[in-house]
Amino acid sequence: MRNIMTIIRKEIYRVVSDMRLVVMVFLLPGLSIFLMYTLMGNVMQDQVTAIQEHQIILYERNMPDSLKNQLIGLDLGDDRVLNIEIHEAKDADTVLADRVREGDIDLVLLFDENFEEAILHYQSMALPQLKVFYNYGRQQSNFSYNQVMSVVRAYEESVRISRLEDPEYYFVFHTAFAENTVDERQMAGQGLAMLMPMLIVIFLFAGAMSIGPDAIAGEKERNTFATLLITPTKRSEIALGKVISLSLLSLASAISAFIGIILSLPNLMMLENGAGELNIYRFSDYLSILFVLMATVLLIVGLISVISAYAKTIKEASMLIMPFYFITLIVGIVTSFGAEPNQAFLVHLIPIYGAVNLLSGIFVFDWSMLNLITVGVSSVIYTAVFVYVLNWMFNNEKIMFQK
Amino acid sequence: MNTLQVENIRKTFRLSKKQRKIEQTDLKKKVAVDDVSFTANPGEIFGLLGPNGAGKTTALRCIATLIKPDQGDVYVGDYSVLKESSEVRKNIAFLTNELKLEDHFTPNYLYRYFSRLHGVDETVIEERKERLFKRFGIDRFAEVKVADLSTGMKQKISLAISLVHDPNFIVFDEPTNGLDVLTAKTVTDYLVEMREQGKTVILSTHILSVVEKLCDRVGIIIDGKLKAYDTLENVKKQSSDGELETLFFDFVKESLGEDHA
Ligand SMILES: Nc1ncnc2c1ncn2[C@@H]1O[C@H](COP(=O)(O)OP(=O)(O)O)[C@@H](O)[C@H]1O
Ligand SMILES: [Mg+2]
Repeated sequence: MRNIMTIIRKEIYRVVSDMRLVVMVFLLPGLSIFLMYTLMGNVMQDQVTAIQEHQIILYERNMPDSLKNQLIGLDLGDDRVLNIEIHEAKDADTVLADRVREGDIDLVLLFDENFEEAILHYQSMALPQLKVFYNYGRQQSNFSYNQVMSVVRAYEESVRISRLEDPEYYFVFHTAFAENTVDERQMAGQGLAMLMPMLIVIFLFAGAMSIGPDAIAGEKERNTFATLLITPTKRSEIALGKVISLSLLSLASAISAFIGIILSLPNLMMLENGAGELNIYRFSDYLSILFVLMATVLLIVGLISVISAYAKTIKEASMLIMPFYFITLIVGIVTSFGAEPNQAFLVHLIPIYGAVNLLSGIFVFDWSMLNLITVGVSSVIYTAVFVYVLNWMFNNEKIMFQK
Repeated sequence: MNTLQVENIRKTFRLSKKQRKIEQTDLKKKVAVDDVSFTANPGEIFGLLGPNGAGKTTALRCIATLIKPDQGDVYVGDYSVLKESSEVRKNIAFLTNELKLEDHFTPNYLYRYFSRLHGVDETVIEERKERLFKRFGIDRFAEVKVADLSTGMKQKISLAISLVHDPNFIVFDEPTNGLDVLTAKTVTDYLVEMREQGKTVILSTHILSVVEKLCDRVGIIIDGKLKAYDTLENVKKQSSDGELETLFFDFVKESLGEDHA
């Protein structure tokens, strides 16, 4: 019994007296979960706010004036007023459907020509119709539909109440929904766009993190690196050799994870919406994804190599890499749960964030070649800087042989 | 010319807090090698004799281009370690127990790997490997992972691998340290063989008998400074009783006295 206590005390002391372990074991888990969820909450809140403040673009035909007047300046409470812009719909129905699908217009309401008259003379005239165009694949269109239709339904209800003595005329008007207002491919891709970029980047990082520190800090720690340094091999060759081999291995590891996700997707998607079809993506889409993966893996391996060359031990390297891993996690989460992919050119120069953003875009078929090239070229430049630094470090005896 | 000239090298290390604790000193800097010069000639074994912490490894590392002297230079043949370090590396073998081989690989794999990094021809690689592996009795273990081999065998593999490029300069740091007598003899026999081949051999040691048995010329280094430097015979003559041991301990005592003063 005494021995057990002695051992327990020693083992606990071992951890508690080691600052690194204290941070790793006690601080990081709580902190990281707190950060992740706070961030996720904030991002989603921001997104909701952004949608609520969005100006609804409504096109109408023959809308009753009473309805129009209600919509304009509708009080939403909390000192907020419905932000809406109402235009007359002059285009043909098919054109309107296209514009709704592409996101130019949030909502189209086409009322029958004699709509109000038909409601007024409901006993003698036929039931009038309201035709609705909206894109449930787009959050802003969805929001517009809900806001505007609640007013329309209230109008319907008030008419219904005025007919209480004629219960057989329960229906006030007929609502029809227009077709071709939703891009099915984009819809199907949206779930993936949320999930995949984040997972891909996390797997890339995790793959590189599991081999990078061992290959560089580990060799320093085990004194095998100096054996390499006394050969006439150029330091820059060593740096490139390390970075390229680590990149290939990390890439293979990430691709394995990627394939795993793809294989499990049919099951996963079945649960969600029953439309789990990956054949919406063409070969060229997969090629673009692979290209982004390669660019990103170089960058991540470059970073991890520099940190590993600086660290004296594998343990120290893993510790120093942690914060960057968390930043990557956070970037992944923010981008995935954020609004639609950002198309701005400059965004794609930001390491990791640019790549995750672009990946989200590729999954919803909303990206440009320019952005793909920007991510590729900028990653190669960042990697070149890392390799240069690595070369300098390999030449620096204080870093390579510090005691 | 295959002489190796060490010219007034000095190497200072900044001491970390941890090291100050170990060395029990308040000084922020440590002069590990203090203005040391010597010459090693082809066909000779030069011995650097000194107690632990005297600066032997540091001096040899400067020669092997792993670190740069703050002052002075070393000429390995015609090449300066400061200016032509990669030429120096092409021509030198450096063995120290601070350089390790990766456990995961076999002697065959590592031998070929380092041969290629030295730019040795494939046919020469195999020829030389066979000869060296046989010479050191590695051949039977050529396909066993380094991790599974004994300390002595590991040391012999390191030795063979340090020679993949058949260099003219051999720099061995405490080459028999921690080895059993048989393995130690294999190593010292080989050093003698290298001398006969006309190579320039430098070894460091804290063991007097190694110097007496092997070295043609010797430098005694104490606390970074070269206290004596001559042929073995002439150095012995400086001793009160003609014994290397007496001289060595006199130097050590002298330097301890300085420390306490
Ligand atoms: N990288 C280093 N950083 C700081 N001090 C060092 C370093 N290398 C060696 N020293 C110090 O220099 C002195 C000489 O060390 P070393 O050359 O290893 O001696 P030897 O090989 O003769 O035993 C020692 O006091 C040692 O602690
Ligand atoms: Mg030493």
